[in-house]
Parts: sequence; C-alpha cells; structure tokens
Amino acid sequence: MKPKLLWLQSITCNGNAHSFFNHPDFFTILSSFELIHHPFIDTDHSFQDVLQGAVPCDILVLEGSFTESGFTKGGIEVSHLMKTYANKAKHIVSVGTCATFGGIFKQKDPDTISGFCFDGEEKTPRYETYASRLISLPGCPAHPQWISFVLMMLASNKKIFIDEMHRPVELYGYTVHNGCTRNEYFEWKIDTKGFGLKEGCLFYEQGCQGPHTKGSCNKILWNEVSSKTRVGTPCFGCTEPHFPKTALFETPTNMGIPRTMPLGIPRRAYLTTTGIAKSFKIKRFQESIIKYDS
Amino acid sequence: MIVKKLIEKVEGEAELDFTMKDGRVKGVEIRFGYTRSIEKILQGKPDRDALVITPRVCGICNHAHLIAAVRAIENGYENAGVKIALSSKAKSIRAFTLHCELIQNHVKWFYMVIIPQLNQLLNIKSEDNPFLKASYLSSTMTKALAIFAGQWPHSSYAVPGGVTCDPTYVDVMQAQALVEEGIRFFEEVLTGLSLDDYLSIVSISSLDKIKGDFGKVLHLLKQKGLDFEGLSHDNFIVFDDSILSRSGKSRATTRASVDVKHVHEVLQEGTYAKAAQYKGRSYEVGPLARGMVSKRPIVKSLHKRYKDSLMSRIFARVDELALLLKDSKDLLNSLKLDEPSCTLSHSKQVKEYTGVGVVEAARGSLIHQTSVKEGRIENYTIITPTQWNLGNDTPEAAGVASMAMRGSTSIEEATFIFRAFDVCSVCTTK
Repeated sequence: MKPKLLWLQSITCNGNAHSFFNHPDFFTILSSFELIHHPFIDTDHSFQDVLQGAVPCDILVLEGSFTESGFTKGGIEVSHLMKTYANKAKHIVSVGTCATFGGIFKQKDPDTISGFCFDGEEKTPRYETYASRLISLPGCPAHPQWISFVLMMLASNKKIFIDEMHRPVELYGYTVHNGCTRNEYFEWKIDTKGFGLKEGCLFYEQGCQGPHTKGSCNKILWNEVSSKTRVGTPCFGCTEPHFPKTALFETPTNMGIPRTMPLGIPRRAYLTTTGIAKSFKIKRFQESIIKYDS
Repeated sequence: MIVKKLIEKVEGEAELDFTMKDGRVKGVEIRFGYTRSIEKILQGKPDRDALVITPRVCGICNHAHLIAAVRAIENGYENAGVKIALSSKAKSIRAFTLHCELIQNHVKWFYMVIIPQLNQLLNIKSEDNPFLKASYLSSTMTKALAIFAGQWPHSSYAVPGGVTCDPTYVDVMQAQALVEEGIRFFEEVLTGLSLDDYLSIVSISSLDKIKGDFGKVLHLLKQKGLDFEGLSHDNFIVFDDSILSRSGKSRATTRASVDVKHVHEVLQEGTYAKAAQYKGRSYEVGPLARGMVSKRPIVKSLHKRYKDSLMSRIFARVDELALLLKDSKDLLNSLKLDEPSCTLSHSKQVKEYTGVGVVEAARGSLIHQTSVKEGRIENYTIITPTQWNLGNDTPEAAGVASMAMRGSTSIEEATFIFRAFDVCSVCTTK
C-alpha cells in the first residue's frame, strides 16, 4: 500500500508547490504515493471532500502560514482542516518558511499569524500534539530536492535525523555559505566592489546572510544549476525563523565588523583570523577572474 | 437562482456566485477570500527590501514582480535626478529571464488548466498526461532562468542599475541549449510545425497547419461550438513596451496611448480584490490585449472573425510562446558579456522619491508604485493583471471576465470561460 499524500495550503503564494514542480523527477516521486490532494494535480478526490475532512491522509504536507481564524475555503476555516488532517496523519511535513515559522505573511499580523508548530523560534500550542510526527522544511521557497528527500525517506520508512527545530540535518546541517563559489574571497576578507561582479564576498557590505543561515543551497543547487550567491545576490536568510529581517541589502556592522558572526564562530576567533587575513595583500584577489578584452 | 462554485487548482481559490435566469448566466460575482496584505507589510521597510518581499506576492509570477519592483525604484531614482543607464547586457538578461517566466506560465496554463478543463467540459477521456508536459517544459525554462537569476521561484537578482550576475559563455551556452529544448518542444509536441513555419502564419486561413496539442485544442473549440463563446468588452490595454507589444489601448479600430496616472482601483464588496479601471472603463489585459494593441497579424485576423472570444483569447496566449522562444534565442546570441552587469554603485542611494514600475506579466500588465521617504517605503501599491480581468461589475461597467461569462448556457462552460482568463487569487495584495 502506497502512503496517502495530502498537500494542504494555507496563507501562501504557492511558491513551494511551484518549486517542487520544478523537480526533474516530479512524477516519479509522486508515483510512490497515492495522491489524495494537490494544489495543481487532479486526483480522484474532490476539493469538497477534502474540505469536509472526509479523505484519508498518511502524509500531510502543509504549505503556508497558520492563522486560527479568518482564513476560509468554501466556508471552512483552514486552521480546522489543518488540525483535522494533522490528527489523522502519520507524518506532518511543514514545507516552506511560512508553514514552519510564519514567514513573510506573519508580518501582516504577527500576533495571530505563525507557523503550524513554531512561531519564529517559539513553539506554538500545537507543538506538543504534533511534534513526534513533525518534519520542518523551511525555505522561501523550500528546495525541490529537500522536499523529495523527505517524501522518499518517509515512503521507504527510513528514519530522518532532525535538529531541535525538526529540520533534517542532512539538509540543514550546512550553512548556505558552504559551497559558495566566492569562498576564497571570504577566507581572505575581500569584499566585492559592487553588484554584478564575479569577484568578492557579499558578507561585508551587501547583506549576505549565507555564513549564518542553515541550508544547503550551495550544495544542492537551485533548479540544478545555481544559487543566489553564485549569481552575486546576497543570501537573505530565507530558511531562518526570523525571515525576513529588515534592510536585506545591507550588512549590519559594529565598528565595521559584521554584527552577526558566521554560525558558531566566537567573535574573538573571527577577529583574529580577519586581522591576519587582512594583513596580506594578495594580488590575484585584486584582479578580475576573466578579462574578455585581453 | 444563485449557484455557488468553488474554483481551485494552480493559483489558489476563487468563489463564483452565478445568477441564472432562463437557463443562462445572467450575472457572476467573483470573490477572493483572503488577502496577505503585502502592501501593508512593505510600509516602513527600507526601499530595496521590495526586491525581496514583492516576488513573494506570487509563486508563479514572482519574477514579473521583481522586475516591476526594480523598475519602480529606478523610475523613482530618475525622478529624483539620478540617471539610470542600464547596459545592453543587463537589459537583455532581464528580458531573457522574464521571457522564461512567461513561457513557464503560459505552458502551465495551457497544459494544467485549459487541456484538463476542456477534457472535463467535453467529457473526453485522454490517456495523455498534460501535467507531465507542463512539468517538462516549465522546469526546462526555469532552469534557463536560474542560470542568470540564481533560482526560480523567488529570485532577487535585479537591482537598481542592472543585475547581480556576471555570467560566462559557459553559462550562456547552457541556457542556449535549454532554449533549444524549449523550441523543440514547441515544434514537436505543441504545434507540429517548425518555429519559422509557425511564425510565418499570418492569416486565419492557415490555421489548419497547426497540429500538435495546440492544433487539437483549436480544433476542439471549433468542433464543439465554443469558438464564439466568452465575448467581453472588446477593449484592450497594455502598459509596458516589450517585444510582445507596445503600450497602448485598443477599442474597436482605434488605438491610443496610455498613461498609468489614469489607472485607478475600485473597492469591491465581498472580495479582497480591488477592480482596476482606466478612466472609469474596464479593459482586458494579457496576451489577447498585447496581440490586439500590437496588431499582430494572426491575432488581428483571428479577431476579425471571432472577436474577443475564447478562441482568440486561448490562441493569443499560446501564440506568445513562439515570439518569446524566438526572442530568447536572439537575446542569448547577441549577449555582450564584456559589458558591465550593473552600472549603479551600491552606495548610490536616493532617500526620497516616488516611482512607477510597469511590466507585462503572463496574465497582463503589472504595476508597482512606490513612494519613499528617508529611505523607507511610505506607501506601496501593486496592481495585478487579475484586478483588470477578474474585477466585478460596477454600476458604470461590467467586469471583463464577468461580461464574458454572461449568457453562457451552463455553469461548466462559464467556468471554462473564467479559467481561460487564468484565475490568480494569490495576487490579492491589499
């Protein structure tokens, strides 16, 4: 018997559903499940049946922020639907930062909108009820291969190792900085001279949060080809509980040093290595990587 | 008699209340049940945060929002006296990534809305999996987009003065191969014609040459007598100049220029979506509007016979794929990588301005307006294509989709007419 998969949407832009639809093996992955409901794909069950709470559900995928009241579909509070199916499900996967922590749409009304089991870093009243079955996949959106990893592990009854916020460690044990093609510039503390350049690190001025953001964007590439930092865009920390912070294109600093340290690095250690790295002037890092006119 | 219908799949949900009289649709009320208040969320944030926040309005049109947002900032800078001179490289890359998103969007609508809904309406059992085709072509094009923009959905790679990427010819070559794959799909699966042969079609008399999935749908619409259904106001409007169209409006045979300052939003009871109007009048936006305003020969020829019917509307949207694929190829071929990607210094920031950014998104014109004081957003307004096409009737003017559904003999047919406009309920931004 294939596990029954139900994808339920709350306050969302549909970004996670579209992200997952980019997966090159989308239909192969789905073939391991009996699809009960999905925002795009037709199934044998009508949306009315889903709204009545009448359909089966083994794996519940939640997309979108949670609000207790005021968001209805066909006259039914979506919060009620989420809880109804969460009670039935063997596994609950919160896909995206909205469903996991509250995300952007939490900012509409921070007091009443949150993730399903977390509100930022805090646990919601629902946490205790559902924690034993919960997997968190934050990201705005979540990466298609992060979603497929969790679904296929569940389909094959394998244990997924998770951290304190229920994120799979295989996916979130890394920082976004890990695998960034600009790493040499970070090592030698060379900041970029501006946007649109191959050279330089975006951590010092452009607001890059890669060194303190959990996620494997530079290990498992986006759309199989790239990532934000590889195309010179700073990481905005979209997998983190407090995404989005403010002033996303600027690095907050204290006395010229980034205020938030790379994950787990003591400030003193950072200052020491920075001092050493900056005391050398390395010619290669002052030059363009490619000169098309020479 | 009032019949309620809940529309779902692809872009959120909408509720339609049909008023039936003598077996025909007399009126329709369209309701979107929630708003995520992105405009309110933006207030007080530093101006460039809009480049990260506004793509999250919509999972399927996120890139169009990014481009509208960056244009609003650039327009504001120019209004404040800072010259913005984008390099041809930055312009081409932005145009290319936007094309990719439009192709992705059109293809999902055709294969995930039009074909399944048409099969359902006509009770056709098909062994084909249209969703598989949608997935193949849309992920091919979003991959090409991501080579330059880092990811899809939700990239923020367009910044004031250009783009953040600095691609190499290795990157360009990979994108070229993906575009070729898109063209191959267009030729072998969608139309059964070479792209050049397709583009040489200028008149309705050559329509039968189109085979493939597109040919099948056109044939079905005619055979089942749906081709003259879905007539609306026959008024069209386009706000941005692109390869798809110049800006302008078209009513009957007259064409005139337009100015965003005459656009206004009308609050509607019972729904979170405001209706958008131009000088108090309803206009259709989107591919048919672009085909009409730009006087694209095949669209004009079709319109001469079918007016603004389902036939013209569906044709015009798939037709844009040819133009987008062709131009995507040309843009990559002529990309000059030795030019700068971004011509504005990161530290160059204007603290006070108002700006407007307009872009042609898949479903039609998308408008962003921003006013900034002391570097922070004081007010941000987003007018989406959905507000033009899916607005309700006002005392002065019937809504575009609402008008198109009037007179239909069944709820199922009216629903199909509605879906041809492509509902996007996630776009309610107030």
